[in-house]
Amino acid sequence: MTVLQALERHYHRLDERGEVSPQGWGLQKFGWCVVLSRSGVPVEVQDLREHQGRAPKLQSYAVPAAVTRTNGIAPNMLWDKTAYTLGRTAGKGRRVAQEHAAFVCAHLAQLAEHDDEGLVALRCFVEGWNPEHFDRAPFRQEMLDANVMFRLEGDVGFLHERAAARALVDAARIAVDEQSIARGQCLVAGREAQLARLHPLIKGVEGGQASGAALVSFNLDAFTSLGKEQGANAPTSQRAALRYGAALNHLLRRDGPNRLRRPVGDATVVFWAQSAEARVAAAAERLMAHWLGEDKLVDPAQAANLRRQMAQVATGCDLAELYPGIAPGTQVHVLGLSPNAARISVRFWMSGSLEAFARRLARHHQDWRIEPLPANWDDAPSINRLLANATAFQGDDRNVSPLLAGEVMRSVLSGTRYPQILLSSALMRLRAGDNAGDGWYAAAIRAVLVRMRRHDPEVAEPAEMPVGLDTERAVPGYLLGRLFAVYERAQRAARGRVSITIRDTYFASASATPASVFPVLVRGGQNHLATIRQYRPSFAGLIMRELEEIHGKLGPLLPRWLGLVQQGEFAIGYYHQRARKLGDETGKIFVSDDDAEKTQAAPYFDAGCER
Amino acid sequence: MRSLPMIVEDLVLPVRATVQTPARPSVRLHVWGDRACFTRPEMKVERVSYDVMTPSAARGILESIHWKPAITWHVDRIHVLKPIRFQSLRRNEVGAKASTALAAGGMKRCTTDGLGIAVEENRQQRAGLLLVDVAYVIEAHFSMTHKAGPEESQAKHLAMFKRRAEHGQCFHRPCLGTREFAAEFALVPDGADLPPCALEKDKREADLGWMLHDIDFAKGNQPHFFRAMMHGGVIDVPPFPPLEAMR
Repeated sequence: MTVLQALERHYHRLDERGEVSPQGWGLQKFGWCVVLSRSGVPVEVQDLREHQGRAPKLQSYAVPAAVTRTNGIAPNMLWDKTAYTLGRTAGKGRRVAQEHAAFVCAHLAQLAEHDDEGLVALRCFVEGWNPEHFDRAPFRQEMLDANVMFRLEGDVGFLHERAAARALVDAARIAVDEQSIARGQCLVAGREAQLARLHPLIKGVEGGQASGAALVSFNLDAFTSLGKEQGANAPTSQRAALRYGAALNHLLRRDGPNRLRRPVGDATVVFWAQSAEARVAAAAERLMAHWLGEDKLVDPAQAANLRRQMAQVATGCDLAELYPGIAPGTQVHVLGLSPNAARISVRFWMSGSLEAFARRLARHHQDWRIEPLPANWDDAPSINRLLANATAFQGDDRNVSPLLAGEVMRSVLSGTRYPQILLSSALMRLRAGDNAGDGWYAAAIRAVLVRMRRHDPEVAEPAEMPVGLDTERAVPGYLLGRLFAVYERAQRAARGRVSITIRDTYFASASATPASVFPVLVRGGQNHLATIRQYRPSFAGLIMRELEEIHGKLGPLLPRWLGLVQQGEFAIGYYHQRARKLGDETGKIFVSDDDAEKTQAAPYFDAGCER
Repeated sequence: MRSLPMIVEDLVLPVRATVQTPARPSVRLHVWGDRACFTRPEMKVERVSYDVMTPSAARGILESIHWKPAITWHVDRIHVLKPIRFQSLRRNEVGAKASTALAAGGMKRCTTDGLGIAVEENRQQRAGLLLVDVAYVIEAHFSMTHKAGPEESQAKHLAMFKRRAEHGQCFHRPCLGTREFAAEFALVPDGADLPPCALEKDKREADLGWMLHDIDFAKGNQPHFFRAMMHGGVIDVPPFPPLEAMR
């Protein structure tokens, strides 16, 4: 199933439910309506904006579909911005006169033979209008460059809603249909039809042009082939083009149920369910939005609920039991669109059953996890948050690499391995000096390593890297990371509160070239142990015990260098060991000065603390 | 003496039974590569690949190994051997094409002024959604065209193709969709088993939608599309050009 075909099919569903405008009509934002008397004199100007919030908001109305207008002059029928309708604009207006003339010509030509009151009024208005009349009442300066439509005095509805106007618009559309470039086989429906020359513009992609960008366009030479122009490069019937454009624009409405509020990387994500029943489709879409997009769930009970449901789904619980009213076999499509100048590119496109997506998301939450959980983990963080905290400069959403975000999203939704570049991005942040004691990095690294080593990325294996500290694990990188953490703790215990520890100075080099760096750390460590032994001999003993355990597994020769995967193990080992509470045989926990700054479950032990 | 004709018939009949009618000259070629991009026509600028190899790409691979004006290749079947995986890339390209009119003018004037394309002025960054780690077996046959001379025969061209495919000879390196994704190829000998199919069991039946069949270069470069259905990991390709137009 391809993108355009799935969108076209969705259009038919929407049309059946009456959620999209009919062919030839579209939604536009309006703030002003000019009321005309029967003789074409503008009587009043109505302000249609909503004045509830800080700034007045424009409302959407169904009007005859906008003409595709990039650089040329092309007036709309029965509505347009003030440069066309009234001949006035707030800017320099080099060609306002031409635009207004085009509007006047088009309307005089179209409205010539009609005798409907409203159309006659409009014709008289257009004939008798002089742009200087704008300075008088009832027009207001704030109207400039806004969309304007018309109403006949005494009418309830707008001019374009009158029966005669509707007939006019439909007739014009049919005339345009017959003028198209050629006939040929349409690649969406497979049948022979009139082919579209230009495809509809898609609005609503985050970061794209406000006037809309094209998903299918061939505006430069290098994009065409075999000497074909524009739409002939991708023969699509006009009807199919308008339909998929309408469906996609409908899906991309702001704050709609089919769209993630925040883009993942630079990709705007839309998803829709294919089902004969509107209720089932809407329920499936709500569920997808809930799983994919929620950050900072306001209600902690809701957050705990989501985590529990995810865990249940991961263990193979039946979706229909957990969420009554959902049909698990509903086909769901997920499309990621990212802007690129005046075009839109498809970042990822996935189709599957709701159940498959649910299992993969649950699996993703199980894999991308570390014990102890970092602060603010919130049980099911969105991909944006996971990436921003693990790979972005200063943890800022805007610094997440768009390619990485797209690839991670795709691997989450298709259940495949995470991209290797996630591992190197996280390690680069650590090397650049980000706090390795922050669990977001360790979680991301662990996710990559775990899935990389599995035979089937979707199926967990018993012997894989554990979520929490594993004292039996004998992987060299892991042990070195643990060793590093123990030496750092020794340093902290000996020196008290310090602003810089060995982590700030030596983390990057210790993880990359342990054989050259660790002797320095060991020497320093012995000095710190001597200091600790003076004041807290039992604590020194505990540290010695840890060191012996780890050194015993490591062997005498340290590796000269560690590859990327082993450096990942180093970072995870460091994080796991750092959070470990050292206790003696009686179970008494010993605390040093710095403990557990950023872990979630971090009780500070007052009792049993020996100083 | 009397039995001689009968003996002759006894000798002749068995021989006639073993002489076979000439088979359609069909071949099977195993192709594989790291990346592929069988670009969809509608997503040509920000490239999105079809899920599987198009028949026109398959024809291109066969033609790069062996083709003469005497034959035309017809692709019969495409076997998909590996799971369908995508990857996204962004690449810097240019937005202008070299103009033949300008080149002709330059040739007449014996100068190259004005023919160059400066990348800085024409740079376009184009995203691409490519296939990763692909492998297919192409089953195809060829037919002789009206340009075939009197001494050309199917057997001769078939033998030439098989020899070239076995030795790895080609006119230009076969590619998987676009030239930068080179294809490795190996002939699957007659009677040998096909390479094993690594496609997941539940993904072997799929409706792949309308896919580009091929382009009719004889009739104004008209593209034709066919409904691609994958059964058991195999896509059956209808004959081209389509005998009846799609309605």
